[in-house]
Amino acid sequence: MGKTAKKPVTTGNVVLFAITLAIALVFVFPIAFNMMSAFKSNAEILRDAIALPSGFYTESFKYLLTKTDYPRAMLNSGILTVGSIAAMVVVIPMAAYAIERTNRKWTNAIYIYFLFGMMVPFQVYMIPLFKQLNMMGLFGNLLGPIMIYIAGSVGFGVLLYTSFLKGVPREIEESAEIDGSTRLRMFWTIVFPLLGPVTASMVVLQGLGIWNDFLMPMLVLPSGETKTMIVELFYYVGEFSSRWDMIFAGTTMSLVPVLIAFLSLQKYFVKGVSSGAIKG
Amino acid sequence: MNATATGRKKKSGWRGYAIWFILPAFLLYSLFVMTPTLSSIYLSFTSWDGISENIRYIGWDNFKEIGESPRVHNALKNTILVAIALVLLENVVALALAILVDQVRWFRNLFRSIFYFPVLMSGIIMGFIWMIILNYNFGVVNQLLDTVGLSSLKTDWLGNPDYALLSIILSTVWKASGYYMIIYLAGLQGIPQELLEAASIDGAGKWKQFRHVTFPLLAGATTVCVMLSMINSLKLFDQIAVMTNGGPGFATETLTYIIYRVAFGEGRQGFGTALAMVLFALILIISLVQIRLLRKREVQM
Repeated sequence: MGKTAKKPVTTGNVVLFAITLAIALVFVFPIAFNMMSAFKSNAEILRDAIALPSGFYTESFKYLLTKTDYPRAMLNSGILTVGSIAAMVVVIPMAAYAIERTNRKWTNAIYIYFLFGMMVPFQVYMIPLFKQLNMMGLFGNLLGPIMIYIAGSVGFGVLLYTSFLKGVPREIEESAEIDGSTRLRMFWTIVFPLLGPVTASMVVLQGLGIWNDFLMPMLVLPSGETKTMIVELFYYVGEFSSRWDMIFAGTTMSLVPVLIAFLSLQKYFVKGVSSGAIKG
Repeated sequence: MNATATGRKKKSGWRGYAIWFILPAFLLYSLFVMTPTLSSIYLSFTSWDGISENIRYIGWDNFKEIGESPRVHNALKNTILVAIALVLLENVVALALAILVDQVRWFRNLFRSIFYFPVLMSGIIMGFIWMIILNYNFGVVNQLLDTVGLSSLKTDWLGNPDYALLSIILSTVWKASGYYMIIYLAGLQGIPQELLEAASIDGAGKWKQFRHVTFPLLAGATTVCVMLSMINSLKLFDQIAVMTNGGPGFATETLTYIIYRVAFGEGRQGFGTALAMVLFALILIISLVQIRLLRKREVQM
């Protein structure tokens, strides 16, 4: 990075910059177009899609927030994301720790059993799962998806945590044993804080996936009070097929939390991707 | 005597914790992933409609139908087409973006964030935006073609069966390439500068440096990206749901989409699970190949 700082600017530098900038504009355009259109009235959008908004039109936002289920749907998405992540970060590192530190035949067997889950896409088991949730009385209940999300992330999560735990020395744990602390307490006070980088990757990767998820919430939370934001937006296509202003405003509102999370946690997003790269 | 007994007891408590630590994950995973996966295998041999109590076993009939149905063949053809197109385009674009971000002199981090941001969007939202951009009457693409005098090229991008799948593929490249870019970028930054300098002293031009030094050293990143993009392309769903709903006709129906439509739209859950088994087999094969390739690479390094 710093190595070019003192070198003189060459034509090559400028050309490369111009090319990169042009491509960047293509990448930014759809998002900028979406956010810009959210501040236009429907008539304005249909008159000229590319034109800049004539004023700061906020009626679509007001309508969505006061006259529709949109706020409720946003809250549901928030509950699902936070609830699932919080539970994942309790359940998965504990299992990974026990597997890695015990290292017996039976724990290795469980490890392989968990990893197998990484190869099973949701579409393979969604049909019986749908019926199963119905039978368990969890259909249309936010608790259902939360448990499905935790279960679905066990394979990937255990893999991430166990590979990281291999580099965490055991000596500290042994001294805690001599001090007479319980395993559970020792795990949460000594080991878990050392797992911060993996936990950060998990939170970012899985959190984003849950916030954006569509197929599963559409199947098991299709209507009423428990609809998620993405599902709600999906139904707007049919419902407001001629009201693009509503759709633009809704999509913009769903992007804002993602944008804020990205800007404040950029480092973890990038790291999360490289750790996600081992996912099969 | 007494002291050692309590000591041993305490020690066995300290040792016997593992089962309790693993149990919650084990139960949830078994109940919500493995049980339905195994039920899927069974249901794929039935003609279940999703509602009725009696589930009829019909042997291999579902799989015979998969072998004979032109609609399924079309979906499989689309799936393979999408997979090949996405793997090639996403990786070429991602590598090009990674090189640009690595080489550009100003605003590197900003450019990286811009190329990466679409990855963070839901397929539904991205599908919306592109659906509107590609709209026949009011869409930006057709408006642009009008302004530059190429009105003859105007078409209903998502309503025309010849272009609908292409539109989905290209907009997915826009959405997903940034992800693979990050992986390639990490690979690029891991290449020792001295190697490239040595090559340039030996008289290798930029292209030769890339062809003979950079690219071979990116082999690990390439394997990962190719495999991931292949698996993700097989799972493509959200964009299709929003942009075309599998249409026009069956023009954009892929394997994942036909599973959903057959099972939840047409009430043929037995047949849907049989199709899901085909998807499962495909992903299993790709994953196993990936594991093998990665192992081989590790040994070579």
